Amino acid sequence: MMADPAAATPLAHRAPGADLAVVAAIELGGATLLGAFLLADDSRLIVALLALLGAAFALLQIRPALEERIVAAFRRAQGAALGLGLAIVLAYPFAMQGNSYALHLLVVAQLYAVLALALNFQLGSANIPNFATGASYGIGAYASALLAINFGVSFWLTLPVAAAVATGFGFLLGFPSMRTRETYLALVTIAFGIVVHQMLNNLEWTGGPNGLVGIPAPTILGHSFAAPIEVFGHRLPSQANFYYLAAALVALAIVSARRLHDSRIGLAWNALRADELAARCQGINVVWYKMLAFAVDAFLAAFAGSVYAAYVSYISPDNFTFLVSVTIMTMVIVGGMDNTLGVILGAFLLTLLPEKLRIFADYRLLFVSVVVILFLILRPQGLFPQRPRSYGGRQ
Amino acid sequence: MTVPLLETRNLSIRFGGLVAVSGVDLSLSAGETLCIIGPNGAGKSTLFNLISGIYRPGAGTVRLDGRDITGWPAHRIAAAGIARTFQSSRLFGDLTLVDNVVIGMHCRTRTGVLDALLRPRRARAELEAAAERAGELLRLVSPGLHERRHRLAGTLPQADRRRLEIARALASDPKIILLDEPSSGMDDRDTDALIEDIRLTMTERPGLSYIIIEHDMRLVAALPERVAVIDYGEKIAEGRFGEVRLMPRVQEAYLGQKAAHA
Amino acid sequence: MDAFVMQNLLNWLVLGSIYALVALGFSLLFGVLDVIHFSHGDVSIVAPFVVLATFQALVSTAFPVGTAGALVLASALAILAVGLVGVLADRLVIRRFRNAPAMMALVATVALGTVIRELIRMVYPQGSNPKPFPRLLESRVQLGDLAVPLFSLFVIAVSVLMMAVLFAVMRYTPLGMRIRAVAEDRNIARLMAIRPGRIFAATFFLASAVGAIGGIFFASYAGVVRFDFGIQLGLIGFSAAVIGGLGSMQGAILGSLLIAGIDTLVQATMVEGASYRLVFAFLLVILVLVLRPSGILGRPVMEKV
Repeated sequence: MMADPAAATPLAHRAPGADLAVVAAIELGGATLLGAFLLADDSRLIVALLALLGAAFALLQIRPALEERIVAAFRRAQGAALGLGLAIVLAYPFAMQGNSYALHLLVVAQLYAVLALALNFQLGSANIPNFATGASYGIGAYASALLAINFGVSFWLTLPVAAAVATGFGFLLGFPSMRTRETYLALVTIAFGIVVHQMLNNLEWTGGPNGLVGIPAPTILGHSFAAPIEVFGHRLPSQANFYYLAAALVALAIVSARRLHDSRIGLAWNALRADELAARCQGINVVWYKMLAFAVDAFLAAFAGSVYAAYVSYISPDNFTFLVSVTIMTMVIVGGMDNTLGVILGAFLLTLLPEKLRIFADYRLLFVSVVVILFLILRPQGLFPQRPRSYGGRQ
Repeated sequence: MTVPLLETRNLSIRFGGLVAVSGVDLSLSAGETLCIIGPNGAGKSTLFNLISGIYRPGAGTVRLDGRDITGWPAHRIAAAGIARTFQSSRLFGDLTLVDNVVIGMHCRTRTGVLDALLRPRRARAELEAAAERAGELLRLVSPGLHERRHRLAGTLPQADRRRLEIARALASDPKIILLDEPSSGMDDRDTDALIEDIRLTMTERPGLSYIIIEHDMRLVAALPERVAVIDYGEKIAEGRFGEVRLMPRVQEAYLGQKAAHA
Repeated sequence: MDAFVMQNLLNWLVLGSIYALVALGFSLLFGVLDVIHFSHGDVSIVAPFVVLATFQALVSTAFPVGTAGALVLASALAILAVGLVGVLADRLVIRRFRNAPAMMALVATVALGTVIRELIRMVYPQGSNPKPFPRLLESRVQLGDLAVPLFSLFVIAVSVLMMAVLFAVMRYTPLGMRIRAVAEDRNIARLMAIRPGRIFAATFFLASAVGAIGGIFFASYAGVVRFDFGIQLGLIGFSAAVIGGLGSMQGAILGSLLIAGIDTLVQATMVEGASYRLVFAFLLVILVLVLRPSGILGRPVMEKV
């Protein structure tokens, strides 16, 4: 499974040009594939593109050396990879040919990517089950929306407040994890999720089952996010505003994930994932790290919730059900636990797949579920499995 | 009289009706090695679990450097300076050897969540330094391990798992290391090599104290200065190995059991 | 005693019995396989649909069984069929996650639940709509000044009987012995010439068949059934099994009675009881698990060090 790092050393002497070519090919190829998929209307084309993606992963499965080569290239040409990636993300809305539906899908997919990354801190790094990410997402959305509607608070100010409220909820949620574990803990989080959903559904000030309507769009320097963007004579649909906001949030989530992963915190989480008792004996305060994982998850999920509320301007309890939490969980597992890129890809796939498969109308949910099950059986390590940390000059 | 480094008084625990450890007094001074022997199921590992905070004693006290640490949670006891290995080695199998050792330094490193998020350079530098030291530790315990330091711990053979556990225990800069049957599950050749490695580490770190649970009498004869014998949860003898092995009660506990197995 | 109180006590027992029939399956499967079969609720809810389909078929053919006979026959068929659905679920999906991390099996069975729901919706004519389900035994018996629906007594009696049968099977039959042996240690059981594969199949059949009875009662109690009723039934059954202590059959029954108890109590005493019943039921779940991390009758896991 794990390729020997020593085997990769001969590659280290290759010209940097080769690395740049690999990075550019992967990034541009991925972006093109995604774009074609988003803009495709013809069901045959959609299926063909999916088959292409499947073939790419089959190739990686059969030839692990290829994967090593790609990873090595990205490590060595880190700066270029980052710059090109950033340019692609910034330019992407312009390539969508003013297709607001495609942009909408990208916004939603990015928000789910943030949610999946949030859950990844827990599930991926520390292997703590949490079926209440959807609830934290909802708490963030409602907190932000209620502040904006009832008190006219600016969206940018509601963000930290919503995050703080949800983080409090995260700690509350994490509290039973002091003693409860595994399936029992999973049920505690399921129960919390259901209680939150039912409360949102029943309370008067949350609008009951009808939810909240008329959530104002954020403004920045007088530009409303509900208005289209005009740049260099180009006119981007209003969704583009939220596309960039969501992209910034994804970037924030990625940076947080990387920084925590490459620190003592990430190691402590990994330790308690592998063996909780041994972790305790290394001086790791397991209770604190578990609570922390819950809090970080809730914090990021609340950000996603606030943006979602402002984006769709209408939220109801049914946006934040148990099944939403399960979907987020599936994204993490399908993408690859503790692998940032994998988790994002998992989120994109599981958001876009059902949407683009609307042509199959009735069979869509069935199809997606079957794919998930097959996937868990055939590639249990996820699209991109977790990779060992690297230190210092090591490739 | 100076205060012993570690001292247990009347240490006891029972599980349901079973008295697993009862009234054990031990004392260990700095730089000393104590070996605990006794038949299977005598309560030796339970004793370790009491000292390292995995179980909370039903009665009795544990003192470290004169400070009462009875009933402290395991992570605080580890931070206070007691490291340990496990009888069935418990490594972090899906992490690299370096990561395993760096985790062992958890209570000697400081980065908190906000540091990690807002001062990444600092957090990263701390981790890099820890990895550097981890590499040296691995080299000290066994050059073979150092070579494979970027492999996953789960792939190691039994003897190397033990060595890695010892390296991980050393990483926390402990005052005392508890080794729970380091030779269990190993053949004679591996055991000899392990004894050599342990001896080497002992000379490298002279101030460190050890408590070793052991079955292999060669290891017992080779390493420690003092031996305590546990049977049915009680300490039945203590002294130099040469003397203790001749005591009738000890022979009874051992040979009686061996005879029953024959 | 007050008729209102009596009525609610009865209601409690009926609801508790239905939940217990589902919860027992969760507990049994976890005890034997260490696997959470999250789609158990969805498997169970297949039963009322089989009953509806076969019942209509039996009545429309001139098969001389009468309405009651047709219903009994349809139910028997449904129980058998659902038992096989359970075995199939294991063979096709769950079996592949025996040695996988718990959360993977959980997510896989949640997806399996969606597959089952979607299949019901697509296979059954107009499957998206709620289907009226015949209320069984609508006549009432006079007990003191309370007219007790025969259905309630029937549900309670059948559930108690099923629990007794299940206990007897587990304790006194060779099959039960083998199941317990596999639950204890499947490798050692294999040395004893027990084939774990068969035992798993038998356990799935047993659990699903008992769940099917619960599913039929649930539909009949509600008077209606919809393809997605399995989610809630499964969640409640799962919760009951967990707070009772997974693997303990008595625990599953106790958990069911607790959840049904709070459910009935809230509905009987609160003005908005019907909307808040789930809130209180799941607050109870949290409370129990905070106080008893391994469930009420679950043995705390003492890790061997």
